[in-house]
Amino acid sequence: MGILGASVTVHILEDDPGVSDSLQTYMKGLGHEAVVYRDAESFFGREPPAASDTIIVDLFLPGIGGAKVIGWLMGLKNPPRVIAISGQAQSVIDRQLSGVAGNFDILRKPLSPHTIAQMV
Amino acid sequence: MTGSPEAGSVSDARLASVLDTAVDAILVINERGEILVFNKACEKLFGYTPEEAIGQNVRMIMPTGYADRHEGYIDNFLRTGHRKIIGIGREVHAIHRDGTEFPVELSVGEAFTPDGRQFIGIIRDLRPRKEQERRVNELQADLVHIARVSAMDEMGAALAHELNQPLTAIMLYLQAATRTLARAQENQVVPGDSFRQVLDKAVHEAERAGNIISRMRHFVEKRDPHRRAVDLNAVVDEAVELTLLGQRLPPRIERDYGENLPSAVVDPVQIQQIVVNLLRNAFEAVRDRPGPTVTIRTARVRDMLTVTVSDNGPGLNPGVVPTLFKAFSTSKRTGMGLGLSISRTIAQNHAGDLTVEPGGNGRGASFTLHLPVTSAVSQDDDEDKVGDVAAGKAGA
Ligand SMILES: Nc1ncnc2c1ncn2[C@@H]1O[C@H](COP(=O)(O)OP(=O)(O)OP(=O)(O)O)[C@@H](O)[C@H]1O
Ligand SMILES: [Mg+2]
Repeated sequence: MGILGASVTVHILEDDPGVSDSLQTYMKGLGHEAVVYRDAESFFGREPPAASDTIIVDLFLPGIGGAKVIGWLMGLKNPPRVIAISGQAQSVIDRQLSGVAGNFDILRKPLSPHTIAQMV
Repeated sequence: MTGSPEAGSVSDARLASVLDTAVDAILVINERGEILVFNKACEKLFGYTPEEAIGQNVRMIMPTGYADRHEGYIDNFLRTGHRKIIGIGREVHAIHRDGTEFPVELSVGEAFTPDGRQFIGIIRDLRPRKEQERRVNELQADLVHIARVSAMDEMGAALAHELNQPLTAIMLYLQAATRTLARAQENQVVPGDSFRQVLDKAVHEAERAGNIISRMRHFVEKRDPHRRAVDLNAVVDEAVELTLLGQRLPPRIERDYGENLPSAVVDPVQIQQIVVNLLRNAFEAVRDRPGPTVTIRTARVRDMLTVTVSDNGPGLNPGVVPTLFKAFSTSKRTGMGLGLSISRTIAQNHAGDLTVEPGGNGRGASFTLHLPVTSAVSQDDDEDKVGDVAAGKAGA
């Protein structure tokens, strides 16, 4: 049971070890399941996420970019909750996400723990 | 002046009027160092009237240390004919009546007169030239600094991102720790170990942020150029790390550092500035190329140390090669075209150089920084100090 609601599975796609580990620690502290992926490739290697899952995805991943991942998730029949995170300038974010349609949130780094907890 | 017995036959009055219209200070002394002629320009330069000066020993216009040696110096010349200054212009120090010591250029000629051997000194004040040199050096140092800040500015957005990562991690770790603490206060069982671990991780991330800041600050802070003996490999490696800071998807970096290199006497921050410029250019050249790779090599080649940065980009556009090292020559939309021109200036100030192999036809560009094994000392150091003259370094 999460403090703010039901326990969910959070998939974290982030290549920075500090950010992914702290996100995982924080999510677990909230009572969620949290799985970390260093890149999009290893995330795609797993079975697709359930509609009740949450995906936190960094836009600037090595290899397949975060925008591609989001595009793919948005195309699922029952898309999960998606939170894009990025530390880049707004113009860079806009460029990366142009052409990616769908219902997802964008949070800029440094992340507010409170905001991300509410979103999950 | 060559000596000739007729020299004494020139009318004294005419000579005096000629001497007084001269812009340079001119004085004549005899073998004992007594001042015989002291022209108007001397009066202005040293603050004594001819009446006060004539008949006095020339040491009155020399700084103490030099004056003490001067007599031995004349003696030595008279005895051995060994020239340390005669016929050669030298930079020495003189002293004004009010005690101000200042640099002058001194040329001495000798004349053989019926009254014995005499020495004619022509003295030019070097302060205006020194002042100008100082200004030029200062402006150059400012320019080098501005270029460094501007390089950092371009990397700024990427660096902000780099700082965002540890800051995000710190906030999340601390928030997690706070929750754990809250639960402990409600007397729930909490794992003490992991609580401590989380705090340790937060500290680690804070250190990471601190390191990024100090790297940047060290690079952009304005301070006087300062040369010292350094390990070139360490200086180069620091520049590599600094350049990588701002790069989210860097090319492959190959470091091929020479072993047991002698230390280089350089301003390490300025040398880093060169390496950062070369690396940034190389990174840009290999962006969007297959298997982007940048190689950094250090070596000793005879009496030079070299740092070579090569890439597997397209090589230099033949059109840019002739003006490559000129300021404002750029092929980039956002480039200032200052990187290479400033880098070469710094290299040459260190008695070294920056050279290029343009590549092309499938080969990338390769830039090499050359630095002398014992880099030349700073410019002021070839100015003669009194001690050097006395020690006979003036040459004959
Ligand atoms: N490794 C390289 N490969 C290909 N071209 C290069 C390389 N390094 C430099 N150049 C060319 O030389 C030009 C001048 O480089 P320089 O570093 O002086 O200026 P810049 O990079 O354009 O701007 P700045 O460094 O001031 O941001 C570049 O615009 C580019 O055309
Ligand atoms: Mg450049």
